[in-house]
Amino acid sequence: MKKWIKLILLLLVFGQVTLVIAHAVVTDYSLKVTPIHANQPGKVELTFNSKIELGLSQIFLVRKGDKHELLQTETGSKQGQIIIHIPALEPGDYAIRFKIFAADGHLTEDVIHFSVS
Amino acid sequence: MAGIADFLDSLIGGFDLICYSLTIGGLFWGLFVLRPWNNQDGYNAVLLQKTIALIYKGGFLLAAAQLFKIILKIWLMTAVLERWPFPEFAGTTQFVGGIIRTLLAIFLAGYCYQTLSKNPFSRAHWTTASIVALPMIISGAWLVHAAGRFDDRFMLMSLTVLHQLAAAAWIGGIFQLVNLWLLRQNNLVTAELWPLMLHRFSRFGIASVAMILVSGVPIAWQYIDTWNGLIGTGYGNLLIVKITLLVIALGFAWLNKSAVQEYGISGDHYALNNRVPYYIEAETVVLITLLFTAASLASQPPAIDISNLTASWQEVLNTFSPQIPQTSSPSHNALIAGEAGRVAIIDQVPSMAATEWSNYNHNIAGIFLTTMSFFAMLSYIKHLPSSFSAFDKYLPLTRYWPLGFVGLGIFLFFRSDAESWPLGPISFWDSTFNNGEVLQHRIATLLVFTLGMIELSARITKNPHSKLAFVFPILAAFGGLMLLTHSHVGFQAKSAFLIQVGHTTMGIFSLILACGRWLELKLDRPGKDIAGFISVAALFQIGIVLMFYREPLY
Repeated sequence: MKKWIKLILLLLVFGQVTLVIAHAVVTDYSLKVTPIHANQPGKVELTFNSKIELGLSQIFLVRKGDKHELLQTETGSKQGQIIIHIPALEPGDYAIRFKIFAADGHLTEDVIHFSVS
Repeated sequence: MAGIADFLDSLIGGFDLICYSLTIGGLFWGLFVLRPWNNQDGYNAVLLQKTIALIYKGGFLLAAAQLFKIILKIWLMTAVLERWPFPEFAGTTQFVGGIIRTLLAIFLAGYCYQTLSKNPFSRAHWTTASIVALPMIISGAWLVHAAGRFDDRFMLMSLTVLHQLAAAAWIGGIFQLVNLWLLRQNNLVTAELWPLMLHRFSRFGIASVAMILVSGVPIAWQYIDTWNGLIGTGYGNLLIVKITLLVIALGFAWLNKSAVQEYGISGDHYALNNRVPYYIEAETVVLITLLFTAASLASQPPAIDISNLTASWQEVLNTFSPQIPQTSSPSHNALIAGEAGRVAIIDQVPSMAATEWSNYNHNIAGIFLTTMSFFAMLSYIKHLPSSFSAFDKYLPLTRYWPLGFVGLGIFLFFRSDAESWPLGPISFWDSTFNNGEVLQHRIATLLVFTLGMIELSARITKNPHSKLAFVFPILAAFGGLMLLTHSHVGFQAKSAFLIQVGHTTMGIFSLILACGRWLELKLDRPGKDIAGFISVAALFQIGIVLMFYREPLY
């Protein structure tokens, strides 16, 4: 009986949780007011609600067909700000997908959609 | 493997808080409740050794948990970033702070093991242990949610540490009460100690809860600035769960306090020995769940930061509004056809089939549970009203109601994750170990199936000393814990929250179901009958929530 309970408890311990929506969220981004123009390299500023460990974060450009391309990033002048360098793009729908390691130790994934015209 | 690393990370957060409560709460217990230097209270070496053992074991486990957290982070980052995270990780607050806290926890546990345990009656050694604990307590400030904030950072860090400290004092004290009761049951301490410690802890507990509120309210105020933020975000929802659990735990604390007062007036110790220990057991389960909920809360973005992703109270209410259950399912082909569009990043197309598939699963599970709870209620009845007396002969069959769990487990196994084996193309092992959500569903399925088999055996066994009946409340409590910390993976925070709110409601009812059944098995009448009824009523409520469940379309 005790073995049974131990076995079940062990299985249940491994049956815990995952919370992918975590602490770091984008509170503002430049695409709201400054769009990316076709065939011109551009910059996007993302502002997070938390301190970011940029060296442990990744930001991708997602093209049609969900093709991913790792983007160059740098720390912005404001707190929690990241600047992303966007290559020249043809008109169409795109997304920025990011994996962010916040200073409080949480990894967050999220997506921002945008269009180039 | 990222799925496993991700969900172990969440699990270890709750375990960390339990160990912290054992250690820090144990020290508070020694200093303010036990006060071992008062030899006139009739303490013995066994009591002191067991008390201190809980403190240093908690400390060593805390250090192990802290180290495991760091290893897990490395594992998780390697999996997510697809590269080795050093040297960057070595410079982060999480790594530096985590290592420092590990060392400080080892130092504290080592002191208690080496020195305090050899001088258990010395006030000076208890005081020194508390001073040794201080740096470890303070170091935790750099590992909490507030450490990453920009505004009022140090105030929030300090308040969070104070909040953790007050919670540890209360919960650690409850752990020590359970320890004392076990010693009392085995006649290893004098009988007089039990009412004495209960009396002292009542006052200490009130002070701890007051401090929890004093430190918690400004934190909540800072992270949730509107009523909508409280009602319509994951952060607010988990805070409401925490408050609900606190109220339930305080309900048990009030029952304990009443029993102590009654003993003080009448000298009758019946309730102290035959009810209070079981209330404390149930309270312990509630508080452990509260710690896991607190760990989950730390993973949620504060409501103040996601005002554009907050659900309205109407949307939240709509999740629970009565609706005719969906009893027909879209075909598996229709579901699979919509999956590529649903999970796409560019050109995403919401899948009606996926939403209806999920609604059907939840609604049918609700029908299973409400039907089972109806038969469960009947199983407590000896005779039906006279107009139905012809059916009296069938009443004994109602004790087989747990069979419904077996059927539900089989149903869930086939329906929970349609993209995985046996219905979908992804293999059993691949889906289980590479997707945290699928793993949770698999475990939940196993839990439900096992619950049914064991509870059925418990109800039909002829052995009066069988302990099988206790498995049901234990598994129900674990089920509640899973639901309270369950989250659906997705990029739509608002939709994910609307799913979460139903799951957390069911989690609270699962916990009530577990505690009710546990107390039904342990208490005498009339408490036994009241607890049993509350337990079955909670099962019915879970069924109702599931029957009316509607998933947002995205």
